[in-house]
Amino acid sequence: MRLKVTILTALSLALGVAASGAFAQEPLKVCAAEDEMPYSNKKGEGFENKLAQLVGEELGRKVEFVTWTDPRFYLRDYLDKGLCDVSIGMDTGDPRVLTTRPYYRSGYVFITRQNDNLDLQNWDSEVLRKVERIAYVPGSPAEVMMRAIGRYNDMFNYEQELVGYKSRRNQYVKYENAKLVSEVASGRAEVAVLWGPASARYVKESATPLKVTVIPDNNTRADGEKVGFHYSTSMGVRNGEEALLAQLNQVIEKRQHDIRQILEAEGIPLLPEPEPALAMKKQD
Amino acid sequence: MRISKIARHVGTTTALVSGILLAVSQTAQANKELDQMSRQNTNWVMQTKDYSATHYSELYDINITNVKNLKVAWSFSTGVLNGHEGGPLVVDGIMYVHTPYPNNVFAIDLNDPGKILWEYKPKQNPAARAVACCDVVNRGLAYAPQGKNYPATIFLSQLDGHIVALNAKTGEMLWKMENSDIAMGSTLTVAPFVAEDKVIVGTSGAELGVRGYATAYDIKDGKQAWRVYATGPDEDIKLSKDFNKANPHYGQFGLGLKTWEGDAWKIGGGTNWGWYAYDPDLRMLYYGSGNPAPWNETMRPGDNKWTMTIWGRDIDTGEAKFGYQKTPHDEWDYAGVNYMGLSEQMVNGKMTKLLTHPDRNGLVYTLNRENGDLVNAFKIDNTVNWVKHVDLKTGLPVRDPEYSTHMDHEAKGICPSAMGYHNQGIESYDPTKQLFFMGVNHICMDWEPFMLPYRAGQFFVGATLNMYPGPKGTLGQVKAMNSVTGEFEWEVQEKFAVWGGTMATAGDLVFYGTLDGYIKALNSKTGEELWKFKLPSGVIGHPITYKHDGKQYVAIYYGVGGWPGVGLVFDLKDPTAGLGAVGAFKELAHYTQMGGGVMVFSL
Repeated sequence: MRLKVTILTALSLALGVAASGAFAQEPLKVCAAEDEMPYSNKKGEGFENKLAQLVGEELGRKVEFVTWTDPRFYLRDYLDKGLCDVSIGMDTGDPRVLTTRPYYRSGYVFITRQNDNLDLQNWDSEVLRKVERIAYVPGSPAEVMMRAIGRYNDMFNYEQELVGYKSRRNQYVKYENAKLVSEVASGRAEVAVLWGPASARYVKESATPLKVTVIPDNNTRADGEKVGFHYSTSMGVRNGEEALLAQLNQVIEKRQHDIRQILEAEGIPLLPEPEPALAMKKQD
Repeated sequence: MRISKIARHVGTTTALVSGILLAVSQTAQANKELDQMSRQNTNWVMQTKDYSATHYSELYDINITNVKNLKVAWSFSTGVLNGHEGGPLVVDGIMYVHTPYPNNVFAIDLNDPGKILWEYKPKQNPAARAVACCDVVNRGLAYAPQGKNYPATIFLSQLDGHIVALNAKTGEMLWKMENSDIAMGSTLTVAPFVAEDKVIVGTSGAELGVRGYATAYDIKDGKQAWRVYATGPDEDIKLSKDFNKANPHYGQFGLGLKTWEGDAWKIGGGTNWGWYAYDPDLRMLYYGSGNPAPWNETMRPGDNKWTMTIWGRDIDTGEAKFGYQKTPHDEWDYAGVNYMGLSEQMVNGKMTKLLTHPDRNGLVYTLNRENGDLVNAFKIDNTVNWVKHVDLKTGLPVRDPEYSTHMDHEAKGICPSAMGYHNQGIESYDPTKQLFFMGVNHICMDWEPFMLPYRAGQFFVGATLNMYPGPKGTLGQVKAMNSVTGEFEWEVQEKFAVWGGTMATAGDLVFYGTLDGYIKALNSKTGEELWKFKLPSGVIGHPITYKHDGKQYVAIYYGVGGWPGVGLVFDLKDPTAGLGAVGAFKELAHYTQMGGGVMVFSL
């Protein structure tokens, strides 16, 4: 412990940082979305904003959010360029970065109205063939299964309508998690398929009681390839930043309980980590 | 480029053309009167000028000797600032002016152009604005003379998907039908087209997965006469029993399903928002269906029939006699809805009824319009590179894989760009010179597909398009060409595109407007510029000409916008915004700003 402090002080000095008082450390630059709720926004209302504060607190470093607007390029344009140093939520094993040990695992969920009592367990449920509208995010594993069950084409227009008919050519088109949940709450759609952590807050806030069913992780494409619906989440740092990675791993281990509290408060369905912890399998 | 070597028998052509025209007037029934009015050069009763879409007037009071004296006679502001496509109509002393959304219509008394006779201002669902891809344009009105059971009628397409019939004398609404559902991403920008007792209307929104169709409504009450789709089962596409009999290699039956994976044809696109032409003698309607959807080609393996197709259909039933797909499995958004120009020219020693179509893909196709035979297909500019040539035997384009837009391939310098070397302009054909005058875009692009991981197995799938001036350094050209020989008589460069097309006259003139706001008159024999005038705003519509009280006038809309002007209209700065148009046209803001109106010239 003593040794570590010494090393860190030496590092700070080497970097020319004034090693005095509360600002003995440089601020922790966290790559955060300006508006990608419920993960993060400018006001710090996202659950990943809270997780970042917890990390900063544990490291004794003030958190500085460096905000980006286009999630397609934030690693390339921010993390890789050194504008920020930590991404709070990434798939475990994402090859573009170094990822920490997973700090939670969750799944995609079916969201329905409680009153509808739909018999919906998995993608092979008859209900999905019958309902009028299914709200989902294209490019997610849900799209693969929408094709597999033959609902992709007849939901195409609806899928475009959800984003006001914005073309995905030459621009980032955001599917608002809150909107997709409200489609079900309002009765516009019978089912929404979303990443559990992305929808948890809105399901909880909904005036219409909603039911959440975690999608089992046993789905496959026509060619037998697995379509993953459960993912482990890690924090990510730039390749080569081994020291920071080690620190984050320590934070995750030490503050496990507090992290879990934040996630549970958010309403995120938490799944046990498989043993041994599986590396993320690339989906394509 | 393979070009059929064909003799040009100029002398005999004129005589034969007149013969055909005579035959036409005798066989045409219901809209004989419209056909005849379109030949009286005092009026301008269709967007295309006449059924053959010659956009050519026999008026010659304004000609190469005096055009330099052309002056503004009067002008009219429409009060709308978005892009003004199409042109006004002139019928018996009244000019009918339309606007982009909100799609207002004004009738102006030519005896007193200071006075609006009537106006029609539709109430529309403003949500339509968000659905339109490329500004809120409208390509113009259609006119039908009084019939047995209806008054003289003006037809208007509204952006919100409705087709409206208005009493031409009073502006009173006669009927209104929903043609396209904006909740399904389908809007209306096409100019309606009157033939026989029907008005034909298309659809927009292919990119959003709209399954394209053309619909014929009865002029008198808007009752649907027929509707024909571009994709799906043969009975929906309405193929005749002898469909493509003369050219079975174009493909015949079952292909609207078989050339798609699963039921992807249901969202397959193939809308038509361009121009129609009609042969009253053959009773055949001609138009092009547009690009397949979704735009990401990897998501729709197959030829995607019958998107990108030149159709020849029976006006009474809608049944297709022939269909020729120009770009099977489109990868570039080369929507094939453009201008269809009809002419009668000598082919292999025989006077032949032809259809000429400058496609967005950079090729000019000429077909025998009776049976669909491919007479010729050549590059409109030698910088076209996605295709090496068209094999006239198979009708297929021979592609250069370097310029493909496959998911794993970043293509640089594709010519033409997604905007095409020829977009929505109406072109003209001077039958005495056997020359088409073409406003040509000269814009190329880089197409970078991306598939970027996000989290929880989600990917962002899309493409970045960057458009810029072609190798000649300009954005536009005007060319005079013979469609049968493929020879170009002359060409001139334009700094910006000639988006709206051309109008030719017997005064040996060709008129057009430029994006930076000039109306110009060239000598149609040589391409020499004889006159120009700077309009209050850039042009994306087409000029027309008419005669009133013995005096010839030339009229044109100003009002920059449309796809090339989206940067100006929506104040976009990112070069890849506006589907990549902003980069190509970023200079435009230094030359013109938004406006909207009609300007009329006379000697």
